[in-house]
Amino acid sequence: MISFDQNAFLIIVTASLIAISCGLLGVFMMLRKMAMTGDAISHAVLPGIVIGFFVSGSQRGLEVIIGAGLLGILATLMIDWLRKKAKVQLDASIGITFTLLFAIGIILINIFAYKVDLDQECVLYGEIAYLPIDLWITGSGMSMGPRITWLAVLNLLLVLGFIRLLFKELTLTSFDENFGLALGIPAGAINLSLMSMVSYTTVSSFEAVGAILVVALLVVPPAIAFLWTKELIPLMKLTVLLALLISVLGYYLAFWLDSSIAGMMVTVAGVIFLVSAVLKSKKSKFSFGTQEKEKSFTH
Amino acid sequence: MIKQVENPILEIHDLTVSYEQSPVLWNVDLSLPAAKLIGILGPNGAGKSTLIKAIMGLVDHSSGYVKIFDKNLNEVRSRISYVPQRESVDWNFPTSVLDVVTMGTYGKLGIFKRPGKKEKTIALESLEKVGMSAFAKRQISELSGGQQQRVFIARALAQEADLYLMDEPFAGVDMATENAIFELLQNMAKAGKSVIVVHHDIHSAMKYFDWMIMLNLHLVASGPKDEVVTEDLLRKTYGGKLNLLTQVNEIIRQKDFNPLKN
Repeated sequence: MISFDQNAFLIIVTASLIAISCGLLGVFMMLRKMAMTGDAISHAVLPGIVIGFFVSGSQRGLEVIIGAGLLGILATLMIDWLRKKAKVQLDASIGITFTLLFAIGIILINIFAYKVDLDQECVLYGEIAYLPIDLWITGSGMSMGPRITWLAVLNLLLVLGFIRLLFKELTLTSFDENFGLALGIPAGAINLSLMSMVSYTTVSSFEAVGAILVVALLVVPPAIAFLWTKELIPLMKLTVLLALLISVLGYYLAFWLDSSIAGMMVTVAGVIFLVSAVLKSKKSKFSFGTQEKEKSFTH
Repeated sequence: MIKQVENPILEIHDLTVSYEQSPVLWNVDLSLPAAKLIGILGPNGAGKSTLIKAIMGLVDHSSGYVKIFDKNLNEVRSRISYVPQRESVDWNFPTSVLDVVTMGTYGKLGIFKRPGKKEKTIALESLEKVGMSAFAKRQISELSGGQQQRVFIARALAQEADLYLMDEPFAGVDMATENAIFELLQNMAKAGKSVIVVHHDIHSAMKYFDWMIMLNLHLVASGPKDEVVTEDLLRKTYGGKLNLLTQVNEIIRQKDFNPLKN
């Protein structure tokens, strides 16, 4: 591993880009106590992907992203409606919404199976290792490098732009939604725009890391960072750093054990989280953790 | 005793608010004068917070309307400041005292724009007024209850409004702080601002408020302090929740009721 391996470099860069995009959005999902809504969205976009795929006839179509975005918003609205109007508790609303939409997605895949080249495996697990052979060829036949890497670059740029533009509104509505509303800030629209970004990021990343592992990248790096800092900007910087660390370690461990890169990345993230949690629980005189009071299922 | 005023700063007409079909505020109809320190009093569950939220448009009303400065809420939002209950947010949120107070300036700043030097100066001045300058750089998770409350008041001050609506700003605040904040609010009223405060301690209410609204699902009274704080109206407001012994004494005194005679 002394010589420069271009494929390894591309995979690590792409994985890092995806992990950073997910982590930054995840920080705000976490602050809104909506980490699991991210999970719901990543599964609920499936019917949108299938329909978009069916309409455009290719995995690369803009229709796929639009379809997924719409389904992500639909899932958010459905969860919100169940919670506020039908008075269903949040966890149950999430459970009902995403399983229903995901199931519809699976049925659609089966119905359209002979027309679209898409299977559950690909959506759920993804495979970043195929990235170097899936190239973006321009009209004139020139190869621009891996397609997914370009998608990840675009995704990260949009996520950075989104957070930079709406940083003040995102922070305020995460901290105190009612105060935001009282100021006349469109909290509902801000929330939906964040959910749309999460949907788009999920779709943009699912080919590489799969819908399930996207969730881990949304939740785990921000959760680790939360254990170590109580300031927002350092929290976001630490999330970016962790995203890089997870990608590099994940790739080389997977390479060494000859296993799934995405799976290894999440395993690494989980281990870092556990170590952090154990270390922090030893120093209980400082405030730490991701929730205000200790809550446990057992008592 | 409901006293209506000419040119009110706030006019509430026949307001009814319900949660799931059961009304929590019935036919509230009142108007309030400008440049006064106004208290909303009533027992727990009387609808005090709901009244504030209805004024701020945070809960839907089943009937009636609210006019502020003789206009609809959306036209005058930038002139109104709101202090929610302290428990309504997670104080473990990763942000600093100064950042929270700066949030008060976001309404005037508008969407997409970032707070600059001017907003920071306003925030620091607001912190100064509530005596929290020394805490500007602290994380909000490190504050005590009373300090959290003062941060919320500073955030409202940073809105630089004409009308202030405060929901229980004295909950969990010690006496010294309460007096200091009351003096600050009195000075604001003297400077022409109108301040409406949900409060539950009758003693300090008597000392500081100019005008009182007494609420118990219905509007019991609204008027100058001296005219509305009467035994009769207090009993109507606090009703069954008055000390049992006082109630028995009252019945005996009023009806000349004596069980031994009967």
